[in-house]
Order: sequence, then C-alpha cells, then structure tokens
Amino acid sequence: MHPAGRAAPWAALAFVVLLYLAPVVFAGSPYVLYILTLTLCYAVPAIGLNLLFGYVGLVSLGHMAFAGVGAYATALLMKAGVGVVPALAAGTLGAGLIGLLVGIPCLRLRSHFFIIVTLAVGMMLYLLFNNLDWLTGGAAGLPGVPRPQPLDLGVATIDFRLSEGFYWLAATAFAVAFAAQYLLVRSDFGRSLAAIRQDEALAAARGVDVFAHKLAAFAISAAIAGLGGGVMALFLRAVAPLSFDFMESINLVLIVIVGGAGYLYGPYLGALLFVALPEFLRAADQLRLVAFGAILLVLALYAPRGLCGLAALIGRRLRHTPAGAAADA
Amino acid sequence: MPELLAVEGLGKAFGGIRAVDGVSFRIERPGIYGLIGPNGAGKTTLFDVLCGRQAADAGEIRFEGRRVDLDRVHRRARRGFARTFQECRVLLEESCRDNVLFAAQDKRLGREGLQAMLRSGRARRAARAEADRLLDLAGLARYAEAPASVLSYGQRRLLEIVSTLMTRPRLLLLDEPASGVNPTLLNALHDFLKRMFAERPAVFIVVEHNMEFIMSLASEIIVMHQGRILERGTPAAIQASRQVIDAYLG
Amino acid sequence: MRRCERIVTAIFEQVVNGTMMGAIYVLVALGMVLIFGVMEVLNFAHGVLFMAGGYLAWVFYYGLTGSYPASVILAALSLAVVGAALERGVFRRVRTNVPMQIVASLGLILIVQNGAVLLFGPSALAMRVPTVTALVHVGDLSFTQQHFVIIATAAAAIAALAFFLFRTRLGTAMRATSQNPEAARVVGVDPDRIHLLAFAIGSGLGGLGGALLGPLFLIFPQMGDLPLLKALTAIVLGGLGSIPGAIVGGFVIGIAEALSTLVVSTDYRDMVVFLLLIAVLLVRPWGLFGIRVRGEG
Repeated sequence: MHPAGRAAPWAALAFVVLLYLAPVVFAGSPYVLYILTLTLCYAVPAIGLNLLFGYVGLVSLGHMAFAGVGAYATALLMKAGVGVVPALAAGTLGAGLIGLLVGIPCLRLRSHFFIIVTLAVGMMLYLLFNNLDWLTGGAAGLPGVPRPQPLDLGVATIDFRLSEGFYWLAATAFAVAFAAQYLLVRSDFGRSLAAIRQDEALAAARGVDVFAHKLAAFAISAAIAGLGGGVMALFLRAVAPLSFDFMESINLVLIVIVGGAGYLYGPYLGALLFVALPEFLRAADQLRLVAFGAILLVLALYAPRGLCGLAALIGRRLRHTPAGAAADA
Repeated sequence: MPELLAVEGLGKAFGGIRAVDGVSFRIERPGIYGLIGPNGAGKTTLFDVLCGRQAADAGEIRFEGRRVDLDRVHRRARRGFARTFQECRVLLEESCRDNVLFAAQDKRLGREGLQAMLRSGRARRAARAEADRLLDLAGLARYAEAPASVLSYGQRRLLEIVSTLMTRPRLLLLDEPASGVNPTLLNALHDFLKRMFAERPAVFIVVEHNMEFIMSLASEIIVMHQGRILERGTPAAIQASRQVIDAYLG
Repeated sequence: MRRCERIVTAIFEQVVNGTMMGAIYVLVALGMVLIFGVMEVLNFAHGVLFMAGGYLAWVFYYGLTGSYPASVILAALSLAVVGAALERGVFRRVRTNVPMQIVASLGLILIVQNGAVLLFGPSALAMRVPTVTALVHVGDLSFTQQHFVIIATAAAAIAALAFFLFRTRLGTAMRATSQNPEAARVVGVDPDRIHLLAFAIGSGLGGLGGALLGPLFLIFPQMGDLPLLKALTAIVLGGLGSIPGAIVGGFVIGIAEALSTLVVSTDYRDMVVFLLLIAVLLVRPWGLFGIRVRGEG
C-alpha cells in the first residue's frame, strides 16, 4: 500500500497537536512564529497539489492561481465586512468551483497536453488578477485587508491583534487540509486514485470512472489551494498578483517534490524548508532559488520521492528486517 | 430465456486493417469458452471491443439482454465484466491483498468518499477473508503482504486473475492466462480456474495459445481467423477439424 | 478614404511586427518540437535557454568580438553545447518519467533564471547593435533593420533545418526515430545519438532566438518566459510533434497577437494567445495540423 496510507493515526494526531503547541514553545520569539505562520500558508496549497501530484500523478503548473482565487475572494469578502470563517469558506469553495470548471475540459487531455493547459490556465488567471482593475486592484493588488474580529471558539478566543492569532488560524486551516488529505488518501477513493496513477487502463477495467475521479481530485485540490490562499491574504493583510504567478506555481511544485510527493507530511516539510531555511541561512534570494533548483534537479534524478521518501528509505535500512522490508517496499 | 452474451456484426478496423470483421456469436449458458486462432486473428481486439477499451466501428453487443456497446469501460465493469490483459497488469506498488481488495471495492464516487467516515467493520473483514481465501486457493497466500512487484511474471498473472475473480464477474475475459507461466504454476492455474467456475458459474472466455491447456479447460472452443469466426465446437471436434488445421498451417 | 488608408497602414505595420515576433516564436517552437518529436520530452526550461542566448550574445558582443553576427553565432553554438550536456546529464535519465521530466525542467528554470540575476543583476541590459538604430522606411512607416534581420535569419534557419532533415542521412535518421523509434533502431539508428543531436540543435535554435530578440527589446532574466508560452501555444496549434505545424503555428500566433493590439489593449494581448491555446486544446487537442493519436481507455 502507498506509504501515506500506512501513517499511523496517532502519529498524524500528534503532529497536529505539536503544531498547535508551537506558539507556546516559541512564545518569546515573534520572528520564529512569523516564519512558522508563513510556512503554514505555503503548506496548505502544497497539500492541495500533493493530492493531485503525489496521489493521482497529475502535474499542474498553475496551481498557485487557484490559491489566488481563494485569496482574492477572501480579501474581497473581508473588505465587504463578511466574517473571517465565511470568507475563508467562500474562498475555498470558489477555488474548488473554478477548479471543477477548469477540470471538466482539461482533464480529457493526455499527459503533456494536460500539463500545458494547466500552465495556460494559471497564466490566464494571473493575467485576470493583474488586469481586472475594478475587481482585483490590478498590479497593485488589494492592500489593507481588514484584521478579522476576535473569534470566540467557546473554549478559547482567537485574538487577531496578537501574532499568535494568525498562527492559530493558519494552523487550523492546515489541520483541516491535513485531515482532508489523511481521510481521502485512506479511503477507497484514495485507493482508486492510487490505482489511476499506477495504471489507468487497469483502473478503468476494474470499474473506476477515471475521468470523474480525476475531476473530483482536481476540484478538491484546487479548493485546498484556495483555502491556503485565503489564509495567506489574511496573514499578509494584502493580496497582489505576483504572489500567484508562474514562478510561484513552480515554487509550489518545488515544495511538494522536496518534501516528498505522495507523503502526508511532505507538504509541511517542503514548505518549512522553502520558507525557513533561507531565513536562517541569510543568503541572497536568488542564491537560495538557485540552490533549490539544484536540489530539484538532484531529486528528480536520484530521489523522486523527496525527503520523506529518503527518510522512509533510511528507516527501512535501519530496521533491516526482511519482513519490514517486504511490508514497506 | 434471453442469451447471456450476444454479439452481432461486430467490426473494428485500424487504418485499412480489419482486426475484427463482422463477428457474431451468442453464448446462452455459463461455461468456460476457449477463443483460439493464429496470431493476428483479432482475438485481443475482440476483447478490447467487448470490454469497451476500444469502440466498435460496427455491430452490437448485448449482455443479459441489455445493450452495452455504448457504455464506457468502467460502466461495463460495474455490470459484471472483468478482464485480464495480455501484457498482464497489476498494481505493482500495492500488496497482493490490496490488489485483490481494490478489485472488489465499490468504485462509485460518492460511496468511496463515505468509506473514510463510515467503514463497516464487518463488511471489511468479510472482504479481507474472501481475498485471503482466493489468494490461498491460487497458492499466493504467503505473498499476501508483499508488494506485487516482488512476484514472478507467472505469479503476477495469477494475481491478476484472482483480482478479477474477486469482483464476482458475470463475464470474465482472460487474455492468454497461461503465457509466461511455468508448468507447475500452470497446473495450479488450471485447477484454480476450474474450481472458481464450479463455485460461481459465469461466462469465462479464455484466449489461449497453449492448446493442451485450453482444450482440457474449456467446454467449448471458438476459432477466429482473419477477424472472423471460423468455427465453433467441442474441443474434440475442433481438434479434428480440417479447416482449423489449415488456418493454423496456412 | 483617408480613414481606410490609415487602417490598412496600421494592419500592415502589425503584420510586419507580427511576422518578426512570429519568427522568434518559430525558432523557440522548432527547438521544442524537434526534441519532443524524437524523445517525447517537453523541456519547459527551453525559455531560459532562450534567455541565456540573449545574455551570451551580450557577453560575446561587448566582451569578446564586437561583431554582432559573430556574437549571435557564438551564442547559438554555446547553447547547442549546453543542450547536448543537458540531454546527457539530465533528460536522458528522466525520458520515460513525465512528472520527473517536468520537475527537472523546473529545477533548470530556477537555476538559470536566478543565476542570471546573480551574475548580471535584476535590471535589463541594453545591447546597442547597429541594426537596431538603423531604420528601414516603408511608406509612412519605419521599422528597425533588426526586424528584417530576425525574419531573414529565422527563414535561413528553417531552410537549413529542412535541408538537414530531408537531404542528409543523419536528418533522415532523426525523422525515422521520431516516426517509429523501434523501426529506426532495427535499421541501425542509435537513438542516444539522435536524442543528443536533437537536444543540441533544439537548444541552439532557442539560443539563436534569444540572441536575435535581445538587441531589439532588452535582455532580462524573464525575457524567455513569454516566448516559451507563445511557442508552446504554437506547438499545440500545430499538433504536438509536427515541425511544419510548429512553423505555421508560430507565425499565426505572432501575427494574430500583433493584430489583436489593434482591437484590444496590450494588457489583454497575452490573454488572447492563452485563450487561443486553451480553445485549440479543447476543440482539437491533436492540433490544427496534427494527426489524431488514439488515447487509452
């Protein structure tokens, strides 16, 4: 069975709990908290792309544009005075709907054609963000997204005047996306997706409606990307088209690949490396991206399953038992 | 009583070559039917058209009284069609048990999603027990946990057949099940197919080049030649037929 | 009548501009299609090779030769060598794995594009070659000489490629590999050698495009992005894998987008092209000139 399907429920739960504890651990350092929040903002759309790329094997080169749909929708609704939860939900659904509409024609295309059309769709959406001045504010984007009202959750209140507030929000969005990923992958739906990735003709012969499954995965993936975009808009308090251009879509693929496509924790790990590493290394922005490009190249050639894949491999070597090897391979 | 499978005037051409050229036949009763013929006779194309992997240019297919030739592959699969591939296809990354379980799972989109929330423990255990029983009958029990990629080619063929049988097919199309299978495994395959047919009678159509294997397995043989059906009869009658011998030699 | 004349003049101007840009797109598209045809690799990093061609021409012009034609040839040759190295070191290994192909080309994009910023800075470089300042007058209109240099060079490159593919043994072997790799192998064509050659020629053509366009517009790290996307559109228009299709597609895109500026604002010019791309993919995914290939399932 696929690696992610084996992840123990307690480990996944512990991971999410640890995420929530971060603001307590790093209480004295708002800078670290800022980095971790930004990491979550990238990790959520990365989960969306991971579902598509890691589990169904479809490459989308315009996925940040779906995050953009979520970001603009959330920002516009917030500016119109809508509450934070409905605004995020609308952003998520909006991106999912666009994904569905885009997917219906595009998913009929074969491998290279599909990749080209995702690129074209991403560019189209970017050009719309950049040029529909009356709606999106054009190249300047939408500054001044209002700070959400405090959120009363019964047990606790999320106060957005504190930086912890945004972290909790991002962590909650991440937890939702993470849980969705976990459940989908473990469900029979996830098994069908894995079968499509391994052998489309076989999956169809066993009764899988390949097109409908791909479409559902594509729409869910776009919706999760939209959720990430919405959180990003709230956290940065502004939206600009450049956050959702072609290069950002490439970066998202980078995050998924480096973390490990098809692994539950891959998107978070990839996002953490992408956001945090350069902050600590203090290297020039371009040097960092050159280095990431080199990493991408090396991973494509030698370790297509990314860091999580390497970790799993090392884990197997360490255990060294034939039974373990058979169950894990 | 309507026939189980009725094929009428089925045609499929690639460029100028008529791979299947006006094939008509009926199958009234469950049974194991051998489909033989020289290379290029159109057997695999007939399978592809029957299960919907390729659209027919002409003709009609009815199964249990309903037309199916306009349905797509997965629809026919949900009607009870199951097939193996000449090139042998299994999910290499999954364990043997998961291969078999996947074949049997409900593939309807809505239900699959719900499985994540409300999985019925009893149904799961029953499916798992059945998968293990079939793997055991096919002699693959000790590989249940192992990924399909560690199996030999012959074992993969067996696994593919076990997977199709797990779907409780009403029409099973086996494309050269014996090719690449060693003699020991061949006997196991023979007994396994006989046993599965006795357990759940259905229409099994088997394309095969191994004459000894197919003649002892099938109750009836259909011979194809140059895209058409040449002859049909009991194994003994076919083996004695002058026409069939000519087709193979000429 | 005056009005009518003005419209004709404007259309003529845009047709010349469009033919020039179309020639650039053809050079980029030909390279990609050549590579895709023989080895089914779609190199998304082709755009940064185009950009590298622009920078290299600049370096050769100001740092080495002082002669523009020599710089262009040197830049194209250097890119051919780079292309050969990329085939050997990267794409040969990921030839059969489509997702990893894409990942590898994305890695190359990051390396080359950001590497260019590190080496030359983020701002655009100007390359003042004589043909850019010299003007050609046609009626009331004037174009730079470079417009016609580009069109003529592209035409020469197309002719040379056609000669190579149809009149030489090696070219014939390349076409054979593209049409039927198995049969080509049987008659003794070494596929690795053909792949290497296709990558070298393809990348060289991309570099040539960059070296030609660089002086006319500016040389900057993203200069290859739009030509890449337009070339992809041209390739899809021509049917992925068809060389005549890529040539026609490139010119159609160039002229269509130039003419579209007469009707819609330049902001929407690129959108017209992408809409065209998406529309073609949806209506005729095998391209306007391509041959339909049977899909699975």
